[in-house]
Amino acid sequence: MTTPMNMVQAINDALRHEMRRDDRVVVLGEDVGKVGGVFRVTQGLWDEFGDDRVVDTPLSEGGIIGTAIGMALYGLVPVPEIQFADFIYPAYDQIVSELAKLRWRSGGEYPAKMVVRTPVGGGIRGGLYHSQSPESLFIHVAGLKVVCPSNPRDAKGLLLASIRDLDPVLFFEPKRVYRAAKGEVPEGDFVVPLGQAAVVREGADVTVIAWGAMLYEAIAAADEAKRQGIGCEILDLRTLWPVDVEAITASVKKTGRVVVVHEAPKTCGFGAEIVALINERAFVHLEAPPARVCGFDTPFPYALEMDYLPLAHRILPAIVDTAKY
Amino acid sequence: MQTLASPPTPPTGALRDDGSLDPAHAAALSDELAVALYEHMVLARVLDGQLIELQREGKIAQHSSAIGEEAAIVGAAAAIGDQDWIFPSSREFAAALWRGMPLGAYAHHAMGTALDAGRGRNAPDPPFWRAARVASVSPLVGTQIPHAVGLAWAARMRKEDVAALVFFGEGATSSGDFHTGLNFAGVTRAPVIALCRNNGWATGTPASRQTASAGFAIKAIAYGLRGVRVDGGDVVAVLSVVREARARAAAGEGGTLVEAIVTEAGVDPVLRLRRHLETRALWTIEREQRLQSEVRADVDRALAEAAAAGPPGIETMFDDVYAKRPWNLDRERA
Repeated sequence: MTTPMNMVQAINDALRHEMRRDDRVVVLGEDVGKVGGVFRVTQGLWDEFGDDRVVDTPLSEGGIIGTAIGMALYGLVPVPEIQFADFIYPAYDQIVSELAKLRWRSGGEYPAKMVVRTPVGGGIRGGLYHSQSPESLFIHVAGLKVVCPSNPRDAKGLLLASIRDLDPVLFFEPKRVYRAAKGEVPEGDFVVPLGQAAVVREGADVTVIAWGAMLYEAIAAADEAKRQGIGCEILDLRTLWPVDVEAITASVKKTGRVVVVHEAPKTCGFGAEIVALINERAFVHLEAPPARVCGFDTPFPYALEMDYLPLAHRILPAIVDTAKY
Repeated sequence: MQTLASPPTPPTGALRDDGSLDPAHAAALSDELAVALYEHMVLARVLDGQLIELQREGKIAQHSSAIGEEAAIVGAAAAIGDQDWIFPSSREFAAALWRGMPLGAYAHHAMGTALDAGRGRNAPDPPFWRAARVASVSPLVGTQIPHAVGLAWAARMRKEDVAALVFFGEGATSSGDFHTGLNFAGVTRAPVIALCRNNGWATGTPASRQTASAGFAIKAIAYGLRGVRVDGGDVVAVLSVVREARARAAAGEGGTLVEAIVTEAGVDPVLRLRRHLETRALWTIEREQRLQSEVRADVDRALAEAAAAGPPGIETMFDDVYAKRPWNLDRERA
């Protein structure tokens, strides 16, 4: 059985399902309770589960993550919400120095498991402090897993997998498609395993790698490329770390050509690591230099956000150039 | 109400320099507990001295001495229940040992051996010990305060009588995590006891460079917590104050910020307790000599065994990063 949902509804459904199943799961954050969160993702949970399971916290991201670590040490499974990924930096020390390292530094005796949910990306006129995509800052940190779904089905399945995973997970929700991305979502228990990319479309000429909201731009660019006779194979990474290196390698070995798309700035963005992995594992199969279509190496702009984002009209030339190289 | 400009309230005291005890605190300390506290403070003092030597010889990377602060550390650890948690900072190895971390395990931690519970990954200190609910804390100042608050808050959510005791020096009160942690503690009424050892100095920086307020306990007022000052050289006073904080936490009255004032002036806290044992006819010169030689032998044996144990194998570096090694760590380990 499936139900049509948008991403907000699918994430809400996953939280509600897991909170009913496991009373250790608690949601905390700024206005996640009665208000239901800045994007209404947690709406209705407070009514069902009450003050001790859905907690409005003081306005301090470092405090949210720091106290959630203590809850996790006690045996709860916190699912803190950070209102925007741009607000996560006050908690960066707690995430990087504490959360990510607890299992390792304690010889496995004090793992602190939680899922940090936070909306990412631009395209909602949020300006430079409500639009960022900081995934590579977390992928670089040993001990963290990083997930970014692109559609309601994956959002539910990946969130349930993330909550049940034994490691801390950063769960980035592409807010531009929170309500725009709609689809059928399985009812009840439904898990999409971490670490597995999805081949969204098969093709023989160019591999296009994307995730989150940019997947739809990649698809739009591939549609146009197809009209020009170029067949794209589109990979939705879904889990950014540990990345599905086998799926990437298999596709690039097939096409010999690859374009990586992401919203974050190009320099030291996750695309750099993906291209390096391709060079290490599929170099002799490459027919063209791997291309990256990314955000610019500037802060995220307010008025010019549609010029900043790597939209389909910027992806298409990269696909064509790579195909014709 | 105190104001910023007024001098701090005088700290609670119980044990006088001559070893006599304020009659109001007479019931606080049984004979058995008095002797146990003394023996443990002697162990802490002897071990501390040996660690200073090892650090000077370059055999351990780092040591933050707690000499003179044993009463505050051991007294607080002894005041809470077995079900409670301790979040130490870099100077509370004596609290971990009091809770039941074996001396040998501590020695393996200090030397980073293959037998260390932390598998040689952390430079000393603080140690952790799961069986005794001594949490794993980083040396980054103040970061453990929100952890303790969150743990205590979780216990309160679950309606379980568990409290958290978190230690830090007065320098940590300048950190954001101190403010954040205690603010959350006030709002959530988490059963947490935040023990600030005020020894007047954060490495080379005096307390007057940490705060302009009248002491540190007064900061509790702004968070809606109780703040109390106690003579940190007085193990009985620390025991009483932390016990009271623990009782209030159990009663749902929330957290307490304890400022334990530790100064080099006055009688050494170990000697002060020994004088008290003598006034109660619980101690003799012979017993002192026997204790000193036994403790020294225990410490020397533990450190020697750890020194002989050797470092962990290189392959262990790749364990415990995640619950299960992902592909990249499998490759690097191979």
